[in-house]
Amino acid sequence: MISNRHRLLALAFFLFCCLRVSAGTPQQPANRISSSVNVNSRYIIEQVQVIGFPASKLSDSLRSKLQKLVGSAYDTEALDELAHSLRKDLHARNVTQHLARGSSPEMVRVVLEVERRSVALDLSVPKFLYHSKQGWSGQMLASTAVARNHSFIFGLVSDGDELTERFTGIQAAYENLHVGTDLLRFRFAFEDYHQQWNRATTDALSDPTVLNAALRTGAPELYRARRNFQPSLAYALTPSLVVTGGLSFERLQETLPYLQTEGANAFAAGLQYHKRFDDENGGGRTADASYSIRVASRALGSDYLYTRHHWTGGYNFTRGRHSLSDQVTAGYITGRAPLFERFVLGTSSLLRGWNRYEIDPLGGHRLLHNSVEYRYRMANVFYDTGSLWSHGKVPKLKHSLGIGIRHSIFSLAIAFPVRQGRVDPILMVGMNY
Amino acid sequence: MLRLTRRLFLLACCGAPFTVALGAQELSARLDQANILHVLAPGLHFLKGKSLERLKDGATVAILGQLTLSLDANVTIATRAIARFALSYDIWEERFSVSRFAAAHQETAARGASHLSPEAAEAWCLDHLTVDTSVLPIGRQFWIRLELRIEDGREGNQIIGEPGINLTRLIEIFSRPARAQQQRWQLDAGPLHLADLRRSSS
Repeated sequence: MISNRHRLLALAFFLFCCLRVSAGTPQQPANRISSSVNVNSRYIIEQVQVIGFPASKLSDSLRSKLQKLVGSAYDTEALDELAHSLRKDLHARNVTQHLARGSSPEMVRVVLEVERRSVALDLSVPKFLYHSKQGWSGQMLASTAVARNHSFIFGLVSDGDELTERFTGIQAAYENLHVGTDLLRFRFAFEDYHQQWNRATTDALSDPTVLNAALRTGAPELYRARRNFQPSLAYALTPSLVVTGGLSFERLQETLPYLQTEGANAFAAGLQYHKRFDDENGGGRTADASYSIRVASRALGSDYLYTRHHWTGGYNFTRGRHSLSDQVTAGYITGRAPLFERFVLGTSSLLRGWNRYEIDPLGGHRLLHNSVEYRYRMANVFYDTGSLWSHGKVPKLKHSLGIGIRHSIFSLAIAFPVRQGRVDPILMVGMNY
Repeated sequence: MLRLTRRLFLLACCGAPFTVALGAQELSARLDQANILHVLAPGLHFLKGKSLERLKDGATVAILGQLTLSLDANVTIATRAIARFALSYDIWEERFSVSRFAAAHQETAARGASHLSPEAAEAWCLDHLTVDTSVLPIGRQFWIRLELRIEDGREGNQIIGEPGINLTRLIEIFSRPARAQQQRWQLDAGPLHLADLRRSSS
């Protein structure tokens, strides 16, 4: 059960986050000169162009804001807000607005000139989560862009949410955002983690019954550290579709008494699709889909030999203050895969409310999950259902329900596993989970 | 008789442009039928440089103006008028538009003019920055000071509120020196006598 201390802690954190967001929100320009004073407000915007930054790299949200201005009357307040968003999101030194005549009288073109910093340093916290069963998880990244197209990233992470293990360590990456063309990117990533294992996992590996079942698909080994080198290329086939391909050289250092190193070296490839559709009435829909495959092969000197497929699909529909979304996740592993590759349910996004170690302390080779979420303003309710199993086992469907509050990137949720007997809710609070 | 030496000639040549420029920015005044003082400064051009660039980029540029009358060579202020003007530039017609925003307790509606040349827009602003001379003692000489500055964003946030513009804030702004990068102009005239001023019908 959730203790009072946890409740108070979560509430204090959430209020703090909300206050931070409110404080960080730029003041609305209620006291500026009205846009109607500007004589150009009678003209219609024909085109909004961003120069000094590749249009293909603008976020969907920014692109949507740009698109919304086309066809509307020239509005200095709206353009000031857009310039502010651009400067903030692109970490630009300055964004200057220019106005030019359109193709016909009564039409104008707006040009937003982005002046980028020569060296930009950006600190971010992509994930921060408190889970009442798994404790804290967090990731902090520092990135710097050099000469426009080169980016160096360094990060610290401690995550007890995504995998059966808690991994703590460093991440570093180099990205070239323009390999001959803006459509092609190169990335070289390095990760070095130390592992902590839950007692349920270590007990399962010493339990002959569990171990025998696991041996059918290849016995997993505990490791105390893993290190990964991963070069990859990403190519944008269309603005909505990106294909990636690369290699992953992962070294696992096993725990005592063996202390030997095993390799999980794999070919990695993926396909990501993301599309946003804006409705005329202010609503919007987004569709996402991804597929990734990792093939660990002897050709790369791998000790683990396996193939891992992972699919995700999502659809979000927003109208006014209402939002409805559905997310589907599926996974399939053949061969002997290391523990970090195995699928897990009972995380902060998959089958929320369940304790992952009750479902399977070693993770599974097959995964199927669906999540439906309805949101009205800040409040949301969700229903998760999914199954995790391994070869030779019968899948059992599990369900969970939850309620929460979501404001900007911050979330607080209480999830209940649907089962007979005692109700044991799980509290999650944090951001970007 | 003054002898024209080479040194004097060179001094005169170098100083001439400054003398012409200062002379061109002369401030004069007239009274209308209601004894309201209007100023004229045909040589003063504030639609230039950065503010003109911003106007041609489609921005609205706000100009703060203050006109003060004093009885002691601008040491203490006898009366003052403050106004705020919003200017914009029509990208198709290549003409200026200007609106005047008065203090909250003075007027509620903004007044304006459009299809103006740069000189006409400048003249319109000056002509609508007026001060009532009824507070001046009859027969006393007085001085006029005209101050204009291009408003920056921070000042705009301070002085403009729901009911109009905040006069106290405006006076505070004119009481402190302008920021280094802020475009500003100041012209003085005096001593003058009300009786000597040209009278006009409007």
